[in-house]
Amino acid sequence: MLKIPIYLDFNATAPLSQKVITSMPQLLQLWGNPSSIHLASRGPKTILRETKKKLADYLKVSSLEIIFNSGASEGNNTVLKSVWNTFRPGNHFNHSVKNEFLISAVEHPSITKTAQFLETEGAIVHWIPVSLNGDIDLNFIKEKLNERTALVSVMFANNETGTVFPIKDIVALAKAKNVLVHSDCVQAFGKTDFNLQDLGVDYATISAHKFYALKGCGVLFARKNAPYINLVHGGGQERSRRGGTENILGIASLGVMVDELSQVSHNETEIRILRDYFETEIKAQIPAVSVTCEKSIRLANTSSLVITGVDGETLLVSLDLKGFAVSTGAACSSGNPEPSPVLLALGLTRQEAQNSLRVSLGWTTTKEHIDLFIHQLVEVVEHLRAINEAQTNV
Amino acid sequence: MSDTVNVPVKKKKVLVAMSGGVDSSVAAALLKEQGYDVVGATMQVWDYTNCDITEGNGTCCSSLDVDDARSVADKLDIPFYVLNCEAKFKASVIDPFINAYLQGQTPLPCVNCNTYLKFDHLVKKMKELECDYLATGHYAQIIQSASGEYQIKTSEDDWKDQTYFLFTIDPAIVPKLLFPIGHLKKPEVRKLAESQGLVVAKKKDSQGICFVGNMGYDNFIKGQVSEIILKSKRGVLKRYPTNEVMAQHDGIHHYTIGQSKGLGMTYHEKLFVIKIDATDNTVWVGEEKYLFHDEVDVIEPHIISQFTDGEELSVKIRYQHKGSIAKVVKSETGFKLKFKEPQRAITPGQAAVFYSQEKVLLGGGWIKL
Repeated sequence: MLKIPIYLDFNATAPLSQKVITSMPQLLQLWGNPSSIHLASRGPKTILRETKKKLADYLKVSSLEIIFNSGASEGNNTVLKSVWNTFRPGNHFNHSVKNEFLISAVEHPSITKTAQFLETEGAIVHWIPVSLNGDIDLNFIKEKLNERTALVSVMFANNETGTVFPIKDIVALAKAKNVLVHSDCVQAFGKTDFNLQDLGVDYATISAHKFYALKGCGVLFARKNAPYINLVHGGGQERSRRGGTENILGIASLGVMVDELSQVSHNETEIRILRDYFETEIKAQIPAVSVTCEKSIRLANTSSLVITGVDGETLLVSLDLKGFAVSTGAACSSGNPEPSPVLLALGLTRQEAQNSLRVSLGWTTTKEHIDLFIHQLVEVVEHLRAINEAQTNV
Repeated sequence: MSDTVNVPVKKKKVLVAMSGGVDSSVAAALLKEQGYDVVGATMQVWDYTNCDITEGNGTCCSSLDVDDARSVADKLDIPFYVLNCEAKFKASVIDPFINAYLQGQTPLPCVNCNTYLKFDHLVKKMKELECDYLATGHYAQIIQSASGEYQIKTSEDDWKDQTYFLFTIDPAIVPKLLFPIGHLKKPEVRKLAESQGLVVAKKKDSQGICFVGNMGYDNFIKGQVSEIILKSKRGVLKRYPTNEVMAQHDGIHHYTIGQSKGLGMTYHEKLFVIKIDATDNTVWVGEEKYLFHDEVDVIEPHIISQFTDGEELSVKIRYQHKGSIAKVVKSETGFKLKFKEPQRAITPGQAAVFYSQEKVLLGGGWIKL
């Protein structure tokens, strides 16, 4: 049996909600193909329809604008490639060529890598700078927006620092120029209340597993009449916008969690208290530690630290061996010797990124967890710093 | 071992370097069996995605060896981590490897990997992760002398013995090292792997240099060094000792002392590379008899166990060398070795490693021209 660690890596994924787990035996009965006509399809069809309806109500959009897929990476790919293929030069169905993208410099790889791929296809990508304080450069957006801009894509909240970006302001700038806007809402969904009507974006992407539901299920919102070209062609699923038999179990698990969205606001307040307590204590107990984007508007659960002189990878391994699961922006076992592109884009030095630690709290985090973690972190940091000092003094 | 009751004995904790091969896998298994608290680690040293070996689906981190190491760790139910050492590996292993070839030498990258990665970086990790020992799957043994000194001795498996690559180890860390398979022979190691059900039991032994793979060091260097630099290494093949120019060559990095095949010219008698002069890129070729020398200078000396100046020791001048008796005399830059019998193809860039009669690894140094 695996030891259950104290889990403080909710921005990576969340443990399954007890509600999801207890509903599983019943949901597993829904093995039918929702596209069938016979009896076995009824349950799955109902789950699909009801989940979509509940989610659409919460997000204040139409059910018709919701597409279930495999996750936010698929959603992000679909949005960028849809828009590119709609407006790309040489598309004879379209008379107005738009080949420029405005994308924040701190997006998830499923955005940045897709955009880089589109660059090889001829797209021009303007990377919107974000300052060390977490401020996105609205003037840059204003200056770069023009009649050839196809899409602006800025995440709702950053996965590493938790910084929340002013999507409504960005939408206002873009709409003034009649430009489409996408927001990757993966980190925000279930952590803070929002709706897409209010946000005003044309596209949004969400992932179920970050919100205590199963992996392999995502949600793509595409506003009615917004350009859309399938990424996956196939059967008539999702009104022919996403081929492939639906992941009913994943969708159903998300449906269970949509019922829990009423708790978001309350939990957010509780988590913010814990996070702020954690940061206050850490700054008091560990010398030379800073919180990245501390002064920005942040998600309540995220704390991105730079602990001078402590290698993030070693810190992570040490903490794991002691039963704490956290994350780092340091170059890790990824086969890529570069540290986090997000932290570097913010203007942190490579060394600072190498010394970074991300702590992200969730609905199951308790004050006891935080106290145990603070205690352990203080000890480990002292130990690692002592070894470094001994080595440099040799 | 104390047998006091009611006092929980804290298990000794070991960091074991796991390459994904059968030797280090069995090392980890044995440690676990012996009751240690075992933590496994693989050093991610090189981006193998451009290598023609052991690559899976081409994404980062998908090296099959790492997967194998992880699967062994899972089977043994021990924590396992991949540590990113790419920058350090490039600076202390790859770059010197390439430079040595460009200087007309034949490098020994495994020693640098041991010096700067396994027995430096991982020693630091051992301390950081609060481990008591560092273990590897080397064919070597740790023994304690009558006076209590911890020493490195050759493996029971003469053929696989890897102490040649360990001569730069800091003696201070020897008491912290464990070589769990050093008392075994390779077939026994494989048998153990099989009986433990480890996926690597039938895996082929790694051959040659890990980051070069099947492409050959020639092609590896070609991929890493600019064409301009490679062109600047061109020169002539000269007959030794007559000085006669015999042919043009494509770069001194294609040659190693003692080589007779692939010289890039045909001649009616068998000729060997006798000497490589990096200052003017001359590669000297001649009859085999000129390959034999009975004296050699060794620089950058390392001593693990003390010996007397001028003592006659068994010296290995390359990995597969059986060892020959030489008088080892201190010199200004290291040691001067005087062999009882002339040695064939003493090659700069390789190491000369000293052993006592009892097969204890005493130290060594780098062969200088």
